[in-house]
Amino acid sequence: MSGSGVSCPGCGSSNIVDDDLYSQAQMVCVDCGSVVSEGVLAHDPNGGSDVSYSWTTAVTRKPCVNLVKGLQRVKAICRILRVHKEIEDLSQAYYKQAYQHQSFIKVSLQKKEVLAGCCVLVSCRLLNWPITMGTMSCLLDADPMAVGVVYQEMVKVLSIEAPIVNVTDVMEAHSQEYKISPLHVPEQLAENSKDLAKRAVALVELAADTWIVTGRKPIPIMMAAIYLAWQSLKPSKQRLKFTLDRFCQIAKVNKHKAALKRITEMREVLCKLGREIPWLRAEVTPDNVARQVDDILKNRYALLRRALRTHEDALQAEDSLTEEAASSRASEPVEHTPTASAVGLCGLNSERTQQPGDGNESPCKAPELQSDSQETQESVPNWGKRVLFAPPCVTHPKRRRAGQPGLQDVTGDEEISDSEIDSYIRTPREAREFALTQKILSLSESEKS
Amino acid sequence: MQVCSSLPGNRSWIRWLFLMDESALERYFDDSIANDSCLSLEEELGVQSPAPAPEDPSFLSGKAGPSREPGEELDLSFLPDELSTQEEPGCHDDTETQTAALDVSQDSGIIPDYNSQDSTAAADPQQGVSLLGVGASPFCPMTPMTPMTPMTPVTERSGIIPQLQNIVSTVNLGCPLDLKFIALQARNAEYNPKRFAAVIMRIREPRTTALIFSSGKMVCTGAKSEEQSRLAARKYARVVQKLGFPARFLDFKIQNMVASCDVCFPIRLEGLVLTHQQFSSYEPELFPGLIYRMVKPRIVLLIFVSGKVVLTGAKERAEIYEAFENIYPILRGFRKQ
Repeated sequence: MSGSGVSCPGCGSSNIVDDDLYSQAQMVCVDCGSVVSEGVLAHDPNGGSDVSYSWTTAVTRKPCVNLVKGLQRVKAICRILRVHKEIEDLSQAYYKQAYQHQSFIKVSLQKKEVLAGCCVLVSCRLLNWPITMGTMSCLLDADPMAVGVVYQEMVKVLSIEAPIVNVTDVMEAHSQEYKISPLHVPEQLAENSKDLAKRAVALVELAADTWIVTGRKPIPIMMAAIYLAWQSLKPSKQRLKFTLDRFCQIAKVNKHKAALKRITEMREVLCKLGREIPWLRAEVTPDNVARQVDDILKNRYALLRRALRTHEDALQAEDSLTEEAASSRASEPVEHTPTASAVGLCGLNSERTQQPGDGNESPCKAPELQSDSQETQESVPNWGKRVLFAPPCVTHPKRRRAGQPGLQDVTGDEEISDSEIDSYIRTPREAREFALTQKILSLSESEKS
Repeated sequence: MQVCSSLPGNRSWIRWLFLMDESALERYFDDSIANDSCLSLEEELGVQSPAPAPEDPSFLSGKAGPSREPGEELDLSFLPDELSTQEEPGCHDDTETQTAALDVSQDSGIIPDYNSQDSTAAADPQQGVSLLGVGASPFCPMTPMTPMTPMTPVTERSGIIPQLQNIVSTVNLGCPLDLKFIALQARNAEYNPKRFAAVIMRIREPRTTALIFSSGKMVCTGAKSEEQSRLAARKYARVVQKLGFPARFLDFKIQNMVASCDVCFPIRLEGLVLTHQQFSSYEPELFPGLIYRMVKPRIVLLIFVSGKVVLTGAKERAEIYEAFENIYPILRGFRKQ
C-alpha cells in the first residue's frame, strides 16, 4: 500500500498509497492529500503494455512491396535468359536474403534492380550456366561498373564463393547473338552458327594458351574470335576485306573497340604459328593468315611445340654469339637488336639461360642488370621480349616518364632549414595582393552569374 | 595513392583517401596502374634484380672496374671485412663447388669457360672482372650484395625486394587552425571549402602532399619511406608553426604502406583463383588483376598477369616483406602453366 519509493512533490513525504477512486488508479500522499500520479482511464486488454495495430490486427506479416516486385524481376530475368528452375529458385532465395541485409535494405530502387540481376548472375555461376557481367548489364540496362560494385558487395554479404566464368563456356551462348546465319545475310557471308562457335572456341583456347585472355574483358575477345573464325571459315577476298565495323553491322551487334586490339594480337599469334607450317612457301602475314587458320588450329599443339623449339634455338644461338663477341671486345656493349642488346648489356657478366628442352612458354631468367652500363632502349630487362609468347602488357609496356629518384638515407629527424620553410610562406605584400585579386575575381564571378 | 610520382593535376586520389573502400580503390586502378611498367623499378635498379643477389657479378664488376690491374691477384679489399677473409688463392676451386651448389638455373656451361680462362691467367681486365664475378660466389648466399636499405629483409627465397611506393601517415598538430588564413599566407596551399574541408599543402622535398584540417589533424601522403614521411610531416608542421599557430607534433603514425615489385614471369590468374578461392577475387570484367587478401599478415595484394605485384594495407615494412615471401612460392607454382 505504501512505500513505492516516490516522494510527494507537495510536502516531500514518502508516505504514498495506492488509492483507487472509482475505476481510476491513483497514488495519493497521505500527509497532504495531493495526487502524485494517476493511471489511464481505459485499461489495455493485456494489462498495461502498448499493443500496436499491426501486432493485433495483422494475421500474417505482409512482405515489403518492393521485395515482392524484386522477386518478380528476378523471375523475369531468369525467363529471359531461359535458365532452368534450379537457378531461378536459387536466385530468388539469394535475393530475399540479400534484400533484407542492412547494406541493401535502404538502397535506391535502381540498385535493388541491379541486385536482382547480380543474384541471377551468381546463381548461374554456381550452377554451371555461366553468363558474363557484360550480358547482365545489358539486360539490366545498367553501367557495368555499377553492376560490378553491387555484385562484389553482395558476394561479400552473402559469403558466396562463385567460380569464375570461363570464356570458352560463354562462347557458344555469345555466338548466338551474331545474326550471321544463311537466313539473315547473303550466302557468301553466311555461316552456320555451330561451325562458327566451334572455330571461335578453338581460337579462344589458343589465345588463352598464349596469354591473350588472362586479365582481359571477355566480350571483346569473343568478338575478335568470332570475327576471325568467320573470316577463316571461307577466306574469300570479300571476307578478308571486311572490317570489324562492317562485320558487326551485318551481324547486328555492337562493336567493342578493344576487339580490334585483340584481333591484332590474335593474328600475331597465328602468324607465329603459321610460320612453322612446314609445307608453306609463301610468307605468312597478319593479312593473309586467315587462310591458314584452319591448318593452324588443327595442328596447333604441334605447331606450338615447333615454334617454341625454334625460338629457343634462336636464343641459344644468340647467346653464344654475343658471348663470343663480348669476350673478344672491350667494355662497351653493342646494340644490335632489342633482344641482342639486352643480352649484350650483360656480355661482361655470366648470363644464365634456361636449360634447353624446357619446352614451354616460361621466360628465361632475366639477365642481370646494373645501373652502370645502360643502354638507351630499355633500362629494365624486358623478359617479355625474350620469350615467344608473353602477355601483351609485358611486350608493349606503357612508357612512363621517369620520376625523380628522391631522397635516400633519410632519418626523419634531420634539421629543417628556415630558408626552406620560408620559401613556402608568402611575403606580406604577396599575401595582400593575393587577397585583393581573390576579391576581384569573386566579384567578377558574382557579376557574371 | 601513387605508384608513379605524378601528383599535380591528379585529384582522384583525394576522394580515394576518404572513401577508403575497395571498390573505389579498384576504380582508381582502372587508370593505367595495371600496365604500369615498373617506374619505380627503373629508379631502383640496384635492388630489383630477380636473381639471388650474391650471384650478381655485374655489381661487383661495376665496383671493381677502376681498382684492378691485369694479372694481379684479385683485390677484394672493398668488400666487407668478414667476406674478404674468405678469399684465398685457391678460391677458384671453391668457386666450382660453390657454383655447383648454387641454383640449378645457372647455366653451368658458362662457368667452365671462366675457369679455363682463369687457368690461363688472362691479362684482359674483363677476364679479371668475370673471374671476380664468379669468385664472388664463395660468399655466403645469405648476404645480399645489393645496396642496403635501413631494414634489410632476408631474401634468400625470392631475391626480390618490394619497393615502397607510397606511405600515408597522420599526425596531430594539437591546436585548431584557421584554414582561410593558412591558404592566404602559404604559397603551397590550396583551399576550396565547397569541395573539401581541408587545406591541401605540398612541399618539394620530400615530394609529398598533406591535408590539413581545421581541428589540427593532418594527413601526409606520397612519401617513399617511413623516415621521409616523418620528415615531410615535420616540415608541414614547421610551416604551420611559422604561420603563427602553436603547432606541435603529436601521435605521428604510419597508417598505410604501398609497395610494388615484379616477379618477371607471367602468372595464370585463372589457375590461382581456382586453387586459392577463399583468398582471391578475380573478375576480369571489372579489373584486370587478381585481388588476394592475405590473412597473415593482413595485406591485400594485387597480382597481375604480367607478374607485377602491388602490396598494400601494411602498417609496417616487415608486413610487406613477409606477405611477398608468402606469395612468391605460390606464384612460382603457377609459372610453368
